[in-house]
Parts: sequence; C-alpha cells; structure tokens
Amino acid sequence: MKSESFTAFGRQAGTIFVTLVGLLILTFCIGRMMPVDPVRAIIGEEADQATYQMVAERIGANLPIYQQFFRYVSDLLHGDFGTSIRTGQPVINDILHVMPATIELATFAILFGAGLGIPLGILAAVKRNKPIDHVIRFLTLIGHSMPIFWTGMIGLIIFYAVLDLVGGGGRMSDFYIGLVPETTGFLLIDSLIAGDWEVFWDAVNHLLLPASILGYSSMAYITRMTRSFMLDQLNQEYITTARVKGLSKNRTIWHHAFANIRVQLVTIVALAYGSLLEGAVLIETVFSWPGFGQYITNNMLIGDMNAVMTCVLLVGIIFIALNLLSDALYKIFDPRTR
Amino acid sequence: MKPSAKLLGAALFASTLLSQPVYAETPPTMLVVGFSMNNILTLDPAAITGKETVQVLANIYDNLVSLNPVDRAKVDPQLAESWTIADDNGSITFKLREGAKFASGNPVTSEDVVWSLKRLMKLNLAQASFLKTHGFTAANADASFTAPDAQTIVVTLPKKLDPQIIVQTLGIVGPGSILDMKTVMEHDKNGDQGAAWLTNKSAGSGPFTLGQWASNERVILDQNPEYWGEKPAMKRIMMRHLAESQSQRLMLEKGDIDIAFSMSAADLKALEKDENVEIQTNGGSGFYYLAVSMKDEKFQNPKVREALRYLIDYQGLNDSVLPYFGRLRDRPIASGIFGSLPNAGYKLDVEKAKKLLAEGGFPNGFSTTLRAISDVPFMSAATAIQATLAQGGIKAEIITGTGDQIYGAMRERKYELLVGRGGGGQLPHPDSNLRATVYNPDNADAAKLTNFQGWRTSFYDEKINKMIDDALIEGNKDKQITDYEAIQTYYADMVPALQPFSEVVDSVGFRADIKGLQLNPSWSTQLRTVTKER
Repeated sequence: MKSESFTAFGRQAGTIFVTLVGLLILTFCIGRMMPVDPVRAIIGEEADQATYQMVAERIGANLPIYQQFFRYVSDLLHGDFGTSIRTGQPVINDILHVMPATIELATFAILFGAGLGIPLGILAAVKRNKPIDHVIRFLTLIGHSMPIFWTGMIGLIIFYAVLDLVGGGGRMSDFYIGLVPETTGFLLIDSLIAGDWEVFWDAVNHLLLPASILGYSSMAYITRMTRSFMLDQLNQEYITTARVKGLSKNRTIWHHAFANIRVQLVTIVALAYGSLLEGAVLIETVFSWPGFGQYITNNMLIGDMNAVMTCVLLVGIIFIALNLLSDALYKIFDPRTR
Repeated sequence: MKPSAKLLGAALFASTLLSQPVYAETPPTMLVVGFSMNNILTLDPAAITGKETVQVLANIYDNLVSLNPVDRAKVDPQLAESWTIADDNGSITFKLREGAKFASGNPVTSEDVVWSLKRLMKLNLAQASFLKTHGFTAANADASFTAPDAQTIVVTLPKKLDPQIIVQTLGIVGPGSILDMKTVMEHDKNGDQGAAWLTNKSAGSGPFTLGQWASNERVILDQNPEYWGEKPAMKRIMMRHLAESQSQRLMLEKGDIDIAFSMSAADLKALEKDENVEIQTNGGSGFYYLAVSMKDEKFQNPKVREALRYLIDYQGLNDSVLPYFGRLRDRPIASGIFGSLPNAGYKLDVEKAKKLLAEGGFPNGFSTTLRAISDVPFMSAATAIQATLAQGGIKAEIITGTGDQIYGAMRERKYELLVGRGGGGQLPHPDSNLRATVYNPDNADAAKLTNFQGWRTSFYDEKINKMIDDALIEGNKDKQITDYEAIQTYYADMVPALQPFSEVVDSVGFRADIKGLQLNPSWSTQLRTVTKER
C-alpha cells in the first residue's frame, strides 16, 4: 500500500514537472516568435546600431534562441528568476508587489461570483421556465456576452462619475498613499494591521466596482453551469423517487440534488478563481489596478521574456495547485473517489 | 441569525460603505497628474528613452541651462549663471551659480557636471546619442569636458560646429541632466557608475526628488528641501499610471486628478465644453509624414514622388485626424525654429498628381502598400491618405502592426509607403530636424544607419548632406539662417523621400483652478510653477 501511494505521488510529481517544462518551452517559443524587440524597447526608436549591439549583448538578446532559453532555465534552477527589463527589478520582487493586488481583486470577485451564482443557478433550475428563470438567464447572458472593458467603463461612468458611490481608478485615493506600511501587500489587511479604518474603507470603496464587475462576469458562468448541473440531477429518477417517498421539496433539492453537484461546482469555481488570478488585464487597465494581468501583458508587449516566463510559470503552478485542491475536495464530497 | 437580521446587517454594511466621504478635490499642496507609464523603463537620465520618463525627470534634475518653453530660440540659465562662447567657436565656458545644492545637501560643483557628462559618454546608453552625433565619444570625453575650478566648466567641441546646438543639447533632459556624483558613486556596483541604483532612485538638484516609483502604478515626487530656487507651491507631485484615456478624462472631470497628460483627441474634444477643465497645446518634436522607400523603382522617379505630394489632403488631415496632436507643416524644419520658412502651401490636387504620374510613366496609377502603426492617429491618417491616393489612381493596401513591426520594416528598408512620426526636433535647432529627416552620410545597406530616416528611406543626396553640414558650422548667424532657408527650398525642389504633413504638438487637459502651468515642448514641463487657486 505504501509503495503504491509512493508511486502515485511520483507519477503526479512527474506529470507536474513535464507540464511546467512544456509550458516554459511553449511560452518561450511564442514569446520569441512575436515581432517584439526588447532591445528596441530599451534604447528607443532613434538610437544607432552601436548602441543596439551593446544593449543586445548586455541582455543576451544576441545569443541564439536556444541558448537564451537554456540561460533562463539554468538561472531558474539556481533560484534566480531574472531581472525585468521593464522595471529593472528582480522579477520575483515585482510579482510579490503585483500579486496581492490581483489576489484581493480575484478573491472578492469569486466570492461575489460564486456567492450569487450558485444560489441563482439553483433557483433557475428549480423554477425552470418560470419568469424568474428567464430573468436569471437573461442576466447571465448579458454578463457573459458583454465585453468586460465596456462594462467596466460604463460602471465607472455610472457609479463613480455620476452617482459618486465608489472610488475611481487605482487601489486607493491619492492622499492615503504611503500612510499605511506595506506589510503583506494586501491593502485591506495592511490597513487593518495598522488600525487605519479610513484607509480600509477607502480601499474597499475602490475595490467594490472592479470586483463586482469581474464577479458579475464569473457569476454569469457559474450560474449557467450550476443551472445545467442541477437540471441534470432534477431530471433523474432518484429525485422523483424521493419526492414520491414523501420527502419535502427543499430536502430533495438540498440533500439530494445539490449534494450531488458539489464536486462539479468545486471544479468550476476553482477554475474560475484560477483564471481570475491570472489577472484580468482589461479590467486592470480600465481601473488602473496595478495587478498581475497588466504586468504580464506589458512585459509580453516589449518581449521581456524573463518576466513573462516567470509569470507563466506562476500561473501554471496556480492552476496545478487549484487542481490538486479540487481533487482533494472531491475526496471529501464524493466517497467513491476515496 | 434570522433572515431579517441578516438583511439588516447587510443594509447596515452597505450604508457604512456608501456614507464614506468621497473627496472631490485633490489636496491643496499635492498635484495629481495622470498619464500612461507603460514606457517608463528606468529613471537613470543617461538611459531613458520615452517622453513619459522625460516628464518625470524634468522635475528632479537640473541642467546647466534650460530651453525656454515659449520662445524656442531662447536658452535660459539654470545651474549655470552664464556662459560664453569662445571667439573661434571651439569651446563654451559655463559659470555655475553659487549656493546650488543637490537634494543630498552636497553642493553642486563643476566636478559633478563634468562627471555627469563623462558618465553619459562612457556608459554609452540611449541618451549619449545626442552628443555622439556631434563627435563626442567615450574616448574624447576627458578632453571635451573639463573643470578648471569649482565654478567653471569648459566644453571643448570635438569638431567644428555651431556651439549653440551643444548649449541646447545640455538643456534637454537626459544628456544635460546633472547628477550628484558623491551620492551616485556611493552606490557604484562593479563599475556601473550607479546605473543599477539610478533605475529607481534619484540624485538631482531639481525642485523635487523621487519619493517612490512603483512600475505601472505611480511615481511620487517630494519637494526637495535643499532646492536652490524659489520653493514650489506643491509639496508633493503624485503621478499616476492611467493607461486609459477615458479613465483620465473621468477622473479629471471629477477632480480626482489635476492634470491629464495622455488623453486621446476624442476625450480632449469632449472636455472643451467642460468649464472646470482647460486644455493647453504646445509644440512637440518631430513630424507626421508620408515616407517612400527609394529601394522601390517607382519611387526613384521624382515625378512619382511629386505626384504623391499632391495626393495628400494637408488641411483635411490636420482638421479631422490630428487635432490636438499635429499642426499643419509641410517643411522639414519645425515652425518657430530659427531659419524655418513658412509652409510651402501644398494642397490636394488630383489633376496635377495624375498629370505627374502620367509624365512619370504611370498614366493608370499603380498598386502598392502603405504601412502604419495600428493606433490612433496613424491608422486614421493612413486611411485618409489611402483614400486620396486612390483618387489619383494609386491603390495602396494598408499594412498595420506594432511599432516594432512598422518601424522595424523601415529600419530593414523593406517597405513601399509608410505613414509615421519622427524627425528629431528635441532641440530647437534646424539641424536637429534636418539631420533626422533627410541627412544620410552613407546609403549602403551595410552601413545600417537606422537612426537616420534619410538612410531608412534610402534617400541619398550629396548636395543636401553638404548643405546641412555647412549650415551647422556657419559662424555668421544671418548667413546661417539664409543657409537653412536655402536647404528648405532645395528640399522642396528635389522632392525627397519623406513628406511631412504635420508637425507634432502636445495637448494636456487640466483643472481650471490649476494656475501657472506652462507646457514645455517634448514633455519636459516644469511643474514647480504650478499653484492651485481654491
């Protein structure tokens, strides 16, 4: 038994390793095939050829592509994630700086998305083809099909510019910047540690709108999936049997149908959270949110491969971790997988 | 908890949120400026490339002299109190003002100035090209920049040229920025002369110092307590990365930012009606142009190039596509610079163009490609030009791409027609425009003189090269002006490969209660003069 689980662990570790290496190779190839020139980004449009050569040598852009790749990987194995061309800082420091902003946004968005999406999905399934179902489906259709940068802009115009209910772009108002020491990088937590409620509320004020808009978009997805999972269950014979046996409608829905879709729900919520953690570059741009999405996109645009590769590696690790987590949750919810 | 209690809780929570004060104004001693900071890669004055970085550093570093933002022919004293040019035009002697200090408290001495200039040449980073163009090198830097005493700096010109252009070069952010030698050298790492440290730190003597740079988030400038000049009214300048023009506009309308630096023409136009917002426009650097590649046989024919000249709707383009960002200009020297002639007055003239095409052997026109960056205003300009070319029988297929793709093709000399922006002009000297747009010392492919648009268009004319070189060393000012006028006339007659249709201008929007804002050309606006009247 012991050796069996050891083999299983080894197989899993092997899969993870191969996935990550494949991811790195693919990212590097795509990044290098893109028509962007990191040297030009550094020296500017009007510099001469001698400057070009000098900078290319300094950042290693003059080496053959495979050598650049091996250089990156060998540095990586030595624990060096490289330095970003864009910021001049070690990539790992940059990520530690931008990631908390994204995690805050993504966590609030997923709480919003799952917190509303799952009940609405269940409601829609139970009240199938009733008016409430149509309303919910219409709302989710809109949430799913509207471009998010547009929703973001309209949200800003209505809730920030006209109604004055929330803050504008950025994580907090300008006059609060620098008041709270950066302990964790999570502004909400840092302001609580410092006991500064004004900063805390200001940060919440700035977080509400982008998080709700992101959350609305994942809610649309989660609602539709929940509805379809629930309908699958509600059409099964065991539900009819339960009702015939005299079980109340509520009990049937929650104890039978819902209990059976928990596993699937965990998977889709985890995946939705994962894609939120990748950073939502459009929402981050519209709301000037200094997060991971903008960081990776801007570095991609100038061909800053050290930063891009490390970011992609991180995204890969996040997804693998979330997958492992949802696998673990399966075991709790579904006795058959134990 | 009962459902009703939960609801009550939620309502309470919501009301706390909504009752939070939302400030409609920025604090009285803090100026909040918004622009896109995507292109800020370093804050080392020797290594910077984009105009956004210039906007930051213009407020941190002083130069020996500063370029007057209004009268572009004028150079004002800054760290140098005065300067004299030797009778033989071979050297310039600067006298430093007494009592100027760096933010560290160290006095500004001639040693700092000379060290800053030598550092620029020896590190040979992006900004060194401004001086390399005029013969300064890492090798001759020691001889070129000397400090006979603590208050005197002598710049010896490595070759014969107009000393005024060097004085002006020392007035621009980057090549002319003066660094605190002691502070920088305390952070020297393996002989990099502080390059790594200066990426996100500052060591200047300007009105502000760098408080914080968080990439793609913000730059904070704090008042420099040691500043030698009049204290700025603002204690802090908060520069915010706002990539979206519409976000800048919303925040400016609301009063959450005071100045928006990179708004689109559409947003600027929408703000014209807002009485709380004002818009200011001032000269920028370079031109919007239509370029041909002389590698293409068709365009080697001057009749064809001349036909293209009459297939551009100059007025229409400037009125509809380039408001706020361009001003009609059809000569290769920016208006307002000494020696510049009034516009030649080219107009869209389809009949004349057709006649020229017929004379050039293309009575039925031809098909070609037109490259432009997939961004406003380039795409709109290219589309408009495509339409007017079609009137003359030229079918131009538009190819779009990123800056790297479009200018990359130009640097490779592999294109036919191209709508672009460039052409020097950072210095208010005609040579700055001419050298970037038409000068080409060596037309060989192998020369790879990609920094000259002349080379990129494969345009080579020995006579105009010589005229440009001669005008730069002409010691008699009046004669020099006549020389530059002659170059423009000759340029018009021989129809070179690059036809400007607009000169670059910059426009910013700001709250009406912001006073004393004077936009400087090329994003080097000094914010120390700004006050708030509230």
